[in-house]
Amino acid sequence: MHKKIIYRSVLIVTLVLSCSCNKYLTLYPQNGTIRQQFWQNKEQLQSAVIGVYASLIQGVPDGGTSKTQGNLQMAETLFKWGELRADNITTPLAGSYVDDVNVMNGNILPTNYLVQWYSLYRTINLCNTVLLYAPGVISIDPTLTQTQLNAYMAEALTVRALMYFYLVRTFGDVPMKLTPTSTDNDLVLLPTTPQATIIKQILSDLSTAEGNAVYTYGVVAYDKGRVTRYTINALQADIYLWTYDYTDCITACNKIINSGQFGLVAGDGNFFSTVYSNGNSSESIFEFQYDGSTTQTNPFYQMFYTNTGGSLAAQINVQGSLFPVDPNNPKNVDVRAAIASNGGTGAISKWIGTPNSTATLTAATSYRHWIVYRYAEILLFKAEAEAFTGQGQDALNLVQQIQTRANAIIVPGTSLTLPAANDPVGVSNYVLDERDREFIFEGKRWYDLVRYARRNFPTTLPILTAPILVNASPALQQIILTKYQDPNSLYLPIYYTELQLDPNLIQNPFYK
Amino acid sequence: MRKIITYICCIFALSACFFSQSLKAQTAANKILIKGKLIDSKTKEPLIGASVQEQDADKRTVTGTVTDIDGNFALPVKSTANKIVFSYIGYTAQSFPIGSTTVFNVSLVSARELVQVNITGQVQRDNGTGLKIDSRDLTTASATIQMKDLEELAVTSVDQALQGRLPGVDIVASSGDPGAGMSIKIRGTSTINGASNPLVVVDGVPFETSIPTDFNFATADEQGYASLLSIAPSDIKDITVLKDAAATAVWGSRAANGVLIINTKRGVQSAPVLTYSFTGSLDIQPTAIPLLNGNQYSELIPEEYQNGQGVPINIYKYPEFQHDISNPFYYYNYGQNTDWLAAITQNGYLLQNNISLTGGGEKARYFASVGYTSQLGTTVGTGLTRLNARLNLDYIVSNKIHFTTDIAYTHSVTQGDYGTTIRSVAQNKMPTMSIYQYNTLGQQTPVLFTPSSNVQGQYPGTYNPVALAQQGNNNGYADRITPHFTVNYQIVPGLLTLHEDIQFDINTNRVSSFLPASATGLASTLLNANTAYEFDTDAFDVYTKTNFIITPKIGEKQTFQGLIQLSSDDTKSVNQSLLTANSATAILQDPSAQGLDVGTGLGVASGLTETRSVSALVSGQYSLLDRYIINISLRGDGNSRFGPAHRYGIFPAVSTRYRLSGEPFMSGFKFINDLSVRASYGVIGNAPATDYSFYNNYSGYTYTYLGQTGVYPSNIELDNLRWEKVTGKNLGFNLIMFNNRVNFDAEIYRNTTTDLFFNTNLPSNLGFSTVNLNVGTLDNQGFEISLNVTPLKTKNWIIDFAFNIAHNENVIRALSPYVSVTTGSPLANGSYESTLLLNNPLGSFYGYVYQGVYPTQSSTIATDKNGNQIKDPNGVPVQTVFGLGNGKYYNFQPGDAKYQDVNHDGIIDARDVQYLGNGNPQFTGGFGPTVTFMRNWKLNLFFSYRTGFDIINGTEISTTNEYTFNNQSTAVLSRWEKPGDITQIPRALYGAGYNWLGSSRYVSDGSYLRFSSATVRYNLNQTFAKKLGIKSASVYVTGQNLYTWTHYLGQDPEISPRAGDIYQQPIDSSTTPPFKSYTIGLTGTF
Repeated sequence: MHKKIIYRSVLIVTLVLSCSCNKYLTLYPQNGTIRQQFWQNKEQLQSAVIGVYASLIQGVPDGGTSKTQGNLQMAETLFKWGELRADNITTPLAGSYVDDVNVMNGNILPTNYLVQWYSLYRTINLCNTVLLYAPGVISIDPTLTQTQLNAYMAEALTVRALMYFYLVRTFGDVPMKLTPTSTDNDLVLLPTTPQATIIKQILSDLSTAEGNAVYTYGVVAYDKGRVTRYTINALQADIYLWTYDYTDCITACNKIINSGQFGLVAGDGNFFSTVYSNGNSSESIFEFQYDGSTTQTNPFYQMFYTNTGGSLAAQINVQGSLFPVDPNNPKNVDVRAAIASNGGTGAISKWIGTPNSTATLTAATSYRHWIVYRYAEILLFKAEAEAFTGQGQDALNLVQQIQTRANAIIVPGTSLTLPAANDPVGVSNYVLDERDREFIFEGKRWYDLVRYARRNFPTTLPILTAPILVNASPALQQIILTKYQDPNSLYLPIYYTELQLDPNLIQNPFYK
Repeated sequence: MRKIITYICCIFALSACFFSQSLKAQTAANKILIKGKLIDSKTKEPLIGASVQEQDADKRTVTGTVTDIDGNFALPVKSTANKIVFSYIGYTAQSFPIGSTTVFNVSLVSARELVQVNITGQVQRDNGTGLKIDSRDLTTASATIQMKDLEELAVTSVDQALQGRLPGVDIVASSGDPGAGMSIKIRGTSTINGASNPLVVVDGVPFETSIPTDFNFATADEQGYASLLSIAPSDIKDITVLKDAAATAVWGSRAANGVLIINTKRGVQSAPVLTYSFTGSLDIQPTAIPLLNGNQYSELIPEEYQNGQGVPINIYKYPEFQHDISNPFYYYNYGQNTDWLAAITQNGYLLQNNISLTGGGEKARYFASVGYTSQLGTTVGTGLTRLNARLNLDYIVSNKIHFTTDIAYTHSVTQGDYGTTIRSVAQNKMPTMSIYQYNTLGQQTPVLFTPSSNVQGQYPGTYNPVALAQQGNNNGYADRITPHFTVNYQIVPGLLTLHEDIQFDINTNRVSSFLPASATGLASTLLNANTAYEFDTDAFDVYTKTNFIITPKIGEKQTFQGLIQLSSDDTKSVNQSLLTANSATAILQDPSAQGLDVGTGLGVASGLTETRSVSALVSGQYSLLDRYIINISLRGDGNSRFGPAHRYGIFPAVSTRYRLSGEPFMSGFKFINDLSVRASYGVIGNAPATDYSFYNNYSGYTYTYLGQTGVYPSNIELDNLRWEKVTGKNLGFNLIMFNNRVNFDAEIYRNTTTDLFFNTNLPSNLGFSTVNLNVGTLDNQGFEISLNVTPLKTKNWIIDFAFNIAHNENVIRALSPYVSVTTGSPLANGSYESTLLLNNPLGSFYGYVYQGVYPTQSSTIATDKNGNQIKDPNGVPVQTVFGLGNGKYYNFQPGDAKYQDVNHDGIIDARDVQYLGNGNPQFTGGFGPTVTFMRNWKLNLFFSYRTGFDIINGTEISTTNEYTFNNQSTAVLSRWEKPGDITQIPRALYGAGYNWLGSSRYVSDGSYLRFSSATVRYNLNQTFAKKLGIKSASVYVTGQNLYTWTHYLGQDPEISPRAGDIYQQPIDSSTTPPFKSYTIGLTGTF
């Protein structure tokens, strides 16, 4: 009898075990999917590409004193990188952040939270993921054409190039990663790559992308919110200008100008709402598409709404000096002046004001698009390039086109005098001055100043130091002047934890 | 699920097989009628309704009947080979072989006349595996505590009661709030990432205490959730701690941090015993660090601002400092002397009521209890109410089959304040501010004063703590039911036993929180104004365990027990959450009230995870001549949290015991009861804390882009993640002498964790910020000694004394390059540097050496080694500067903090940073006597201690930095104010300077000795009790946390390093000391 029992129990134990352990232990996540099940058809490919764009507006708005890595929206980072060190921003004391003030005073340490670059590399990784896995889809989904595939890849290449371009302009040399981090086998400790190498890489990527990208998606919002061939041309023009390659810059600009797809929006009472409040105007080339109906708001309400202790406001010189008042007719105003800031509170109207009113947006309605490129900039890119290629008059004409549209107020003594057309430096400075007004608070100013200052360093340095001294307290002026003698000071330091985590990174020597 | 059903079916099939075996034995025979009468042996009264049963050789009931009104019965029996058994409640059962007898006239003896018998014998301890091993034969390191010894303590959770009682078990409270979790560490931290709490096993089955990993919203935290160990302390019989790897190895992957085995009380054969117990205690919050009052604060701030900014404070910009009666709004609202901490502090209480009923007959036994606990915390707005119920049933079908059914239910409501910062905000808050608003006429209104922002900033940096405590909440509602069934079947009596366990664990938790705009002053349009949050998680767990236990008789001089065990576990957890904002008023605190649910971060979220594990264990214990004992086990684990390549692990363990006292040559030493040496070696595997990490998961964004949904890879696929393995070696020594009056136990051990899990930060150029990797090797090594003696034992007096001491250090042995070896920056105020050095203990930190304050300008001149002034080439004395890097310096001014210039270069910088201390205690433990007089009076004192560790006093940093508009402690009244002042507190410097760098100024020795508890208990005299109609009763008074001897100046030296922090900086940020509590308790048995 015992034998029988033992025999039976062995039989049953085997039976239990044969409910294969491996199958039992293989579980799949139920909310979401995994890579092995993804990349199967063109719809999935599209949602991965949309995911790249969605990452541009990822994160939560600035809500307090604790800024953690990855928490900051990219638009906040881009705004602060492009404006804080320049001359148009100040801090109202109540809500200011110490780190913001330190950046403004040129007192930047590697521990400053603003030098974190995580949000950009997060997007780069998504681009890299698309670039690696997208080509595999075509063999699985026969309805995907090579042209469609190439167009999707062109979008990823372009967004990646845009991210790297922001990084090299801000940090100089940065690590360059062109493959995704998908598994723990992909972990590497990258060294810094020289700026020139990265620029070469992204220019070559862009020329690949240019041949593959679409001209239009057939829907206006898509044309402004996703990469088209014109986005690529605009980015090319910007990069060529950064590398002082004026001929190529003009070529890229002409591709957009001659397409006939863009024009300046009239500078009338609807200008604010058309270009900024509503966005996706006929002038726009590429914008981050925040959208109130889809729960993603931009970070600007919390940054600029002074009544709740916003952290940043417009510099006092913006009204009256940058935008002079017509002494003969105070009602004759530059349309851009009121859009720039509220003369009283210094609130930055471009982001939180409302057209023809002193009312401001609310937290829930703060979803204006972050404009990366618009047609006016292409004209001024071209003007800047023309200044140095002996086409000064044409450049001045382009500037005038912008001025006329905006009803620019020229007040002798306050405004820059019109330079001679054959004076490249004069013309280019005139372009720079107009750029300041046209793109104020659009995250361009600091990069413009650096571009001008680097052109013939250190001779051209005063172009940068002169405006920022206006803003600096007298005690700091001499220090700032000395500091910028070192060209490395134009770039930000690498965040200290990055150096702790990646021993192959080399800190910008200015901050060592 | 289908898998589970299949498994259960198999088990039933298995059981059915064996039943059919036993059923076969009952072949129909000629039925014989048996008759008779039952009477009481004393009164000769007939017993009505007494049970008469025919039982077979296995004591299984075959047929049965009850006696009639005259005590008569008639029963047709199936076999005359069986026995006939008579039983009646309150009487001793009797049994007789049937044989040829057909008439039984039996008189039963009332159990009340029986003399109480104390059954003595060796305590058998189930190490959880199913093997029954005498505690004197244990080959592994473990410690047991009887709950009886702790019953006087006013605790809501078992872990609180165990503090300091067991050597090598370090239990530290994470907060004094009701319902807060405890950090339990057995022999240090062997794992850094994820749960470091030990596995809790209740009645042989693992009890889930971890927090679901999907608990991810920022508005709730682990503390707010902790319903850890929601077992009523009064239901517990004993607790055993398994410490060495050989003991825990049989528990597999979740046991890497040690195992706490809890056995609940069970019924015994007796008349019903009703026990009622009550404890009530009063919790008093001692006064916190003295802070500046409004007047002192108003003096400090203008001075601080002037020093820091070089200009007087602009009172038009900061009307908070105007103090101008012509501006009554500011004059009154910022002209008070408010003690914010006192305003949110109250006296707490704890009331516990528990009724239990236990008893049983020969066949069925029961233990049932109901308990109700209510606690009011010492911070306004915190509290706990809990209802516990437990029913433990044993049914003995026959000698062969034994069923148990245990059902436990817990319902608890934990009330908490929103967020965790309320006490620190109250501490920092300007004392000049008013709690209630004054209007522009200077009249006080009932409205709580909450400006949206003022000079101190805005939410979340600051808010009105009184409003938050009164109107905000963060409540947890937990319901948990755990039905546990076992069947024990002796397949071959005395040789082979089957023990089958199945437990269901249904655990639902709901967290509901509300952030009132009245506390934050936020404009109603902001997304965090009136935020209501609701989180619900439901976990369903099925655990099965099948044991085959073999106990062959292999001769007189040797014994053997063997075990084959199969177990499986399946946990499913589903959660939903809802976050809305801008509800119309603070009264509408539920997210379902109409509010804004569209906006960044708002809306709904849900998740579902499932984890499975299986294991097989083969284990055996062999003993020769009662002297040489060896235990070997081999466990195989499979876990769904690993990828296919690393899913299974095999973990062996060996342990031995050599009983020297059993040797013949030791027979001369009669006073030695036991002298043994134990040695063990074991390996345990630890599984990661998250599910599905070996997949590249693609998730969707919570918002759309251009109306389309986007997808992104949300993690790094972990192809290489392996089991984290803890290899433990232990050498133990037991000595029991003088008839158990001296009990000495010593252990020395080393636990080596290889393939240590660490959620390391990544350089962000990889596109992800963190990844879980196997990063290195960590050693935990140390020793433990415990001594229990009974120096005096007379008829009237018994004195017991217990003492334990333990030492543990953790040392890092290898580290992956992906772990940053340093944290903190010596350039930043308030930051200490930590560096992971191979072969050095964790928890060391570095900083400057503080040398007081520069009294005058001349004292700031740098000096060389000999104390002479350093001069530049022009002969001008060089000032001491603080090096900011990048060629930038800060010149020290009179009144600034002076740091030691170690290399005498005139520059204070990273080169002057020195070792300042380590946060790991040298020794931990406790001791105390118990005095019993006349068996009725009992006095118990208990002291606990931790020595030889350093603490960074984070509270001192924040209350003496004089750097912001935050309130400061009264220590700053002695600050430097004018040249020549000699003091230890530097000048006030708003937003400038380097006066509070991480330095020796804030570091102090944290050693302490705490008078943890004192109890006086009186047991009512038996005869007196009887007069009152009760069996027994006792009354006791306990004081807890009575006094702490320490040189530490902070609030409380009992701190635990943050979990998940590999650097383990011991920063004490507590704002209030733990409360003292005074308890009165009553227990009555009926």
